[in-house]
Amino acid sequence: MARIRFENVEKKYANGFHAVKDLNLDIQDKEFLVLLGPSGCGKSTTLNMIAGLEEVSDGRLMFDDMLVNYTPPHKRDVAMVFQSYALYPHKTVYDNIAFGLQMRKAPRDEIDRRVRDAAQKLEIAHLLDRRPSQLSGGQRQRVALGRAMVREPSVFLMDEPLSNLDAALRISMRAEIKELHQAMQTTFVYVTHDQAEALTLADRIVVMRDGVVQQVGSPDDIYERPQNTFVASFLGNPPINYIDGTIEVTDSSTARFVRGDLALTLTEATARKLADCNGREVRLGIRAEDVDETAQGGEGSVIRGKVNSVLPVGSDQFLGFDFYGEELFFRVGKDLSHRLGDDVALSVDLNRLHVFDKDSGKTLIW
Amino acid sequence: MSDKTLTQPGGIDYRRRQRLARLAQTLVILAGAIVLTIYVLAPVTWLVSSSFQTEAEIVSVPPHWIPDEPTLQNFEAIFSATEEEEITYETRSGQDPASGGFIPSTAKNLLPAMWNSFLVATLVVILNLLVGVPAAYALAKIRFWGRDASVYFILITRVIPDIALVVPFFLVIKNLGMLDTIGSLVLTYLAVTVPFSVFILVQYFEGLPDELDKAARVDGCSRFQALVRVFLPLSLPSLVAVVLFTFLTSWNEFLLALMFTQTEASQTLPIVLAAFTSDFTISFSFINAAGVLAIVPPVIVAVIFERYIVSGLTAGAVKG
Amino acid sequence: MRRLFGYEERSAALFLAPVMAVLMGVAVFPILYSLYLSFFRIKLTRPNRTPFVWFDNYTDLFTNDLFWVSVARTVTFSVVSVSAIAVIALLVALLLNQDFRGRRILSTILLVPWAIPYVANALMWKWIYDSGYGALNGILYQMDFIDKYMIWLGDQEKTIFLIANAFVWKEVPLATILLLVSLKSIPSDLYQAARVDGASVWQRFVHVTLPAMKPGFMLVMIYETMMAIRHFDLFFILTEGGPGDASHVLSWHIYVETFRNLSFGSGAAMSYVLALVTFALSYTFIRTLGRKV
Ligand SMILES: Nc1ncnc2c1ncn2[C@@H]1O[C@H](COP(=O)(O)OP(=O)(O)OP(=O)(O)O)[C@@H](O)[C@H]1O
Ligand SMILES: [Mg+2]
Repeated sequence: MARIRFENVEKKYANGFHAVKDLNLDIQDKEFLVLLGPSGCGKSTTLNMIAGLEEVSDGRLMFDDMLVNYTPPHKRDVAMVFQSYALYPHKTVYDNIAFGLQMRKAPRDEIDRRVRDAAQKLEIAHLLDRRPSQLSGGQRQRVALGRAMVREPSVFLMDEPLSNLDAALRISMRAEIKELHQAMQTTFVYVTHDQAEALTLADRIVVMRDGVVQQVGSPDDIYERPQNTFVASFLGNPPINYIDGTIEVTDSSTARFVRGDLALTLTEATARKLADCNGREVRLGIRAEDVDETAQGGEGSVIRGKVNSVLPVGSDQFLGFDFYGEELFFRVGKDLSHRLGDDVALSVDLNRLHVFDKDSGKTLIW
Repeated sequence: MSDKTLTQPGGIDYRRRQRLARLAQTLVILAGAIVLTIYVLAPVTWLVSSSFQTEAEIVSVPPHWIPDEPTLQNFEAIFSATEEEEITYETRSGQDPASGGFIPSTAKNLLPAMWNSFLVATLVVILNLLVGVPAAYALAKIRFWGRDASVYFILITRVIPDIALVVPFFLVIKNLGMLDTIGSLVLTYLAVTVPFSVFILVQYFEGLPDELDKAARVDGCSRFQALVRVFLPLSLPSLVAVVLFTFLTSWNEFLLALMFTQTEASQTLPIVLAAFTSDFTISFSFINAAGVLAIVPPVIVAVIFERYIVSGLTAGAVKG
Repeated sequence: MRRLFGYEERSAALFLAPVMAVLMGVAVFPILYSLYLSFFRIKLTRPNRTPFVWFDNYTDLFTNDLFWVSVARTVTFSVVSVSAIAVIALLVALLLNQDFRGRRILSTILLVPWAIPYVANALMWKWIYDSGYGALNGILYQMDFIDKYMIWLGDQEKTIFLIANAFVWKEVPLATILLLVSLKSIPSDLYQAARVDGASVWQRFVHVTLPAMKPGFMLVMIYETMMAIRHFDLFFILTEGGPGDASHVLSWHIYVETFRNLSFGSGAAMSYVLALVTFALSYTFIRTLGRKV
């Protein structure tokens, strides 16, 4: 049981590097929170501060109502799974899993029960006498999970626990971690730079960039209603397309986005938000999958261009699309055949347009 | 025949050429290996050989490279030399006076000196481990304010020449009334061993993943427990290296022992050996036997623990 | 907000306290005490009169001919031995960097000189150089290079070189092992690239091996120089500074001045000069190692 609160937390490393800036975050009890962002954005730093492995430079870090800024890790009730697993090479699997309980002076039979229990659940019961060096990557991963699980900690921290596994294993482990969270009923904080992982696992996602939180929200929020171009670009594959243009407001409930020949009619809800934006330079975002080629929409929703490249990706194909010298990428059905140089017209899902301020990149509509 | 068919139009037989080059390389390596072996082993072999020669044989001109009649009497003399009796060889009376013929009265000190050397070295090893291991762990795994300064401080103490410490050491030890005690040697040897030990250990600990340390601490270890329960069991190779170096350095040390020891109460093996060499009445065969005795333990240690020594040297000494 | 002494600082302080205490006691204090002593005229023959003499010990030193002789001898000894070590160790390292049967045995054998005590090394060479029955005389005589036995160490011209030889023999193993590290750390694709470019064995050595080894080589040489200029044991046993002043090196000079003339003040002053020289020499050494840790 723990609610974790960051209040104006700063982290400056000894060399002066400012890794986390003014972090305010309220992690609910039993929540599955995912920290998402590109490499070097401060995810691990944030996680390490929760664990007590890095000192908080400024601000307050609270567990429930207790200030833990100065509490060393062994006095916090946290467990952690590392990217490299960090199993103790000189201990057997059993002792690896039991170590945390031994350090906390749990009774012997209690330890034994919990270790065997966890091993059972993780299907590594037959490996208990081995050393870590005699295990496969996936098995090591399970041992690392087991080591954290048996502790029944109030906070469960994971730093890219799956990134050393192959693709198939990664996906099945994802499901298991989700189950684990449901079974354990504790707070999970999970670091990844894999958007798919974040979207599947999280109750809430925190997107970070250069030590600054960009957006906090449910996977849906983050994907459907990105607060700025950084968040919008970070999620989605292929990445979201941007078109710079101007807003033309007709009246309080109708508006158009215009760029050269292209004119897209905005939905009423959007138009209302942009009522006082007439003539404003904006950046329009269209996700790759938010187009449709089969059902031609009416005028005001069509974008035209010349096919530049075609990339089949199994279920679909990506269409590279030349638009005023810029390359846009859309995901279309694979039964449509396109040749390079063809002119195509795609109709855009107008409900899913994103409008950002051109300079600041902040959203204008969500 | 097949050689001929492979000859290139230009007339150069590439295959033959390559074979020649490889042959030349093998020959160069072989020659190098032989020269190196002779360079390293010849002096030692000569010393050992002459320690098995009788007094009469050792003064032959030209020398006998291999003893005609090998004898253990030199070694027996060392091990049977006691306080009460001074042994002389009958065979030596009337020999060349320059080579003497007497077992020196200091011969009885050889075995106690070996014991002293052993005792000093062991104590120095223990103290090195006690102070070195926690320091190395802190320097390698704790990022604390003042870490770099500490590293530089220890490095600087490492380059202080031992001879620059002799004068102040002597006065301090004399004032403490510790002259001619084993304690004075143990203390001063710390100056020449500790910085090196710390560096071997730091290099090793740095090689162990940081995440192991983090995992241990999240699992509930204090810093001290993380060191004892996780890092110590993993650092055996570096501990062995430290033990070896410290032991050998102490066992071999001469300058400081020369200053601070006076009697068999504290004299170490190198001191007794050195005393022999300046005594013209002592026979060479006896000195050589003593020399062999001094060489054997460290060489055995070095040969057995070759791996640890090489890795320790490269970690702690210079690392290019 | 940040506390100066958090848990990390406290545990680090605790872990470092023993080592710091020891080093303060056996290294820093003596060196400072030595500086202090060097400002006094301390004769153990006159224990009750130890006047403060400012820099007299230093000025005396620099106007003392024997001191300058000892500096010259030390320089000769160091230059000769370190260059010999550099050449021999480089050759041996190149040899041991090859892959051939018996390489491991050879590297084990190489540890022998490193392991034996300096005193035993000195005794061994003293016996080899012996004028009456030594191996050097014996072998040269048998091979007809000399027609009568020579008093090698009694020869002013040769003494220092003979001592250097004994020093080199003992130091080559260490230097070799350290050079091997930097040889092994040269990535092999560098060689392959050079090979593709058509470089001969010699060209590869000059253009790939040597430049890549340079930093490691420098460190080893600095280290060996530090060892050479402070070396004492061989001089004590082989020649006691003689014949005449032919091997009267600085460390021997300090010893004589301190423990034979019992002038601790000037002994301290000289030790201090030596320490400072070593320190200046090792600057690069410390910087490089410090940055690496
Ligand atoms: N001990 C340190 N001293 C100085 N800077 C550090 C230290 N540790 C991390 N940093 C810097 O802080 C920034 C954030 O590091 P952090 O490890 O939190 O990134 P991350 O988001 O986990 O990235 P990744 O996905 O690559 O693991 C990086 O730019 C990193 O270089
Ligand atoms: Mg990270």
